[in-house]
Amino acid sequence: MTHLLIPMLEGTLVSVKIFFFTLLFALPLGLLIAKAKQSRFWVVRKLINTYIMIMRGTPLILQLIFVYFAPYYIFSTSFDRLNAAIIAYVINYGAYFAEIYRGGIQSIDKGQYEAGKVLGFTKAHTFFHVIFPQVIKEIIPAMGNEVITLVKDTALAQTIGVAEVFRVAKTASAREFSTTPLFIAGVFYFIMNAVVSKVFDRMEKKLSYYD
Amino acid sequence: MKKLLTILVLAIFSVATIAASGAKENQADVSLEKVMNAGVFVLGLDDSFPPMGYRDKNNEIVGYDIDLAKEVTSRMGVELVNQPIDWSSKEQELATSNIDCIWNGFTKTDERAKVILFSKPYLKNQQILIVKNSSPFNSLEDLKGKSVGLQGGSSASDAMDASPEFKASLKEIIEFSENLTALMDLEAGGVDAVLLDLFVANDNIKRSGKDFRIIKGSLTEEEYAIGFRKNDVALRDKVQSILQDMASDGTIAAISTKWFDADISVVTEN
Repeated sequence: MTHLLIPMLEGTLVSVKIFFFTLLFALPLGLLIAKAKQSRFWVVRKLINTYIMIMRGTPLILQLIFVYFAPYYIFSTSFDRLNAAIIAYVINYGAYFAEIYRGGIQSIDKGQYEAGKVLGFTKAHTFFHVIFPQVIKEIIPAMGNEVITLVKDTALAQTIGVAEVFRVAKTASAREFSTTPLFIAGVFYFIMNAVVSKVFDRMEKKLSYYD
Repeated sequence: MKKLLTILVLAIFSVATIAASGAKENQADVSLEKVMNAGVFVLGLDDSFPPMGYRDKNNEIVGYDIDLAKEVTSRMGVELVNQPIDWSSKEQELATSNIDCIWNGFTKTDERAKVILFSKPYLKNQQILIVKNSSPFNSLEDLKGKSVGLQGGSSASDAMDASPEFKASLKEIIEFSENLTALMDLEAGGVDAVLLDLFVANDNIKRSGKDFRIIKGSLTEEEYAIGFRKNDVALRDKVQSILQDMASDGTIAAISTKWFDADISVVTEN
């Protein structure tokens, strides 16, 4: 059993790496995009809209292939596999996160901005100290959904040869002529998502100070 | 504002075109020098293809093709790097120089030869049908009106397309993403037979101990060869000449016996 578990744990580590770095970069990127979408400038709004349309309108698997292979044809060099995968996930998930943030931001009453102004707060101060904490509270359920999906989406990285846990399971299955490795991979994903769910539950409880 | 956007788009495109044209200027064949200077030869494989190339219990990549490549690279004086890839992107991986060759039970077909430079064939393969031991099927004719499973995008599916009569006699063809899932379906009573490589079938029956057998007759005979980039003639010729040396001194026969219990390779001596 150890000969199976050790490679699979290594694969899980790769999956977790993709997951972690995607969140690390896509969460701030999403907020930036959400704010840019409300920009005063027509060009910025148009560009952001196009970006979100492409990211949500094409398969993630295709975006992975594009990020990994396209740079070679344009610059005759390419990213390392894992980096290419992380970049693809970040720009894809950034678009989804942006829409979630936007929903949250728009749900906050305009009067609060006005109140901030009256109190003499700067725009940034109003946003980060008054609006954003409420936005977080608002978007937690939708974010939870998206983050859980991300855990399972990491399996797509195998398209560009990244040895994440599902690929490791598949190669082990081919060797042993058994589905046990695939089943173990399923258990691994389940455990990862159980942790994610728990974290989101905790956050929701902690932030429900008015209930 | 619209103007600004147009300028921006044009700028991006022109940079891309300049970069792309710059890449194509060098036409001389430096493929062999490149490998020798780098000191590494990158072999692309789908690491779930026993016995040609797969991961053993220690998670090491092993197989018949790997043993051949190890010997070739050690004679070249370079290090062999086995790079697992997704089989459906193999041409892309090769074209974008992420790998130096595809060496993984890679069937030589006319279609592939248009974009890939092949070595001489080193192994003869057949597409055969595997059935449950308890089933009544003994020949291709017995499978009339039955369903057959195969791996989508594989040479088994090409072989099926190349045998229109047999294909028409079947009730249905079910494509799986891997041989493993096809064989699982066979065991579970889904499909009546699975079309796959002879070597894979033999290895599967030998090691899995499943109650399968191979029926008489094959769809097509085909050949395994090593795939290189279309322009990498020097590299291909070097690998080819080492393989022929290995045939002369009996190394290939030894490797073949280790994996298949017989010398079945078709590399000709120098």
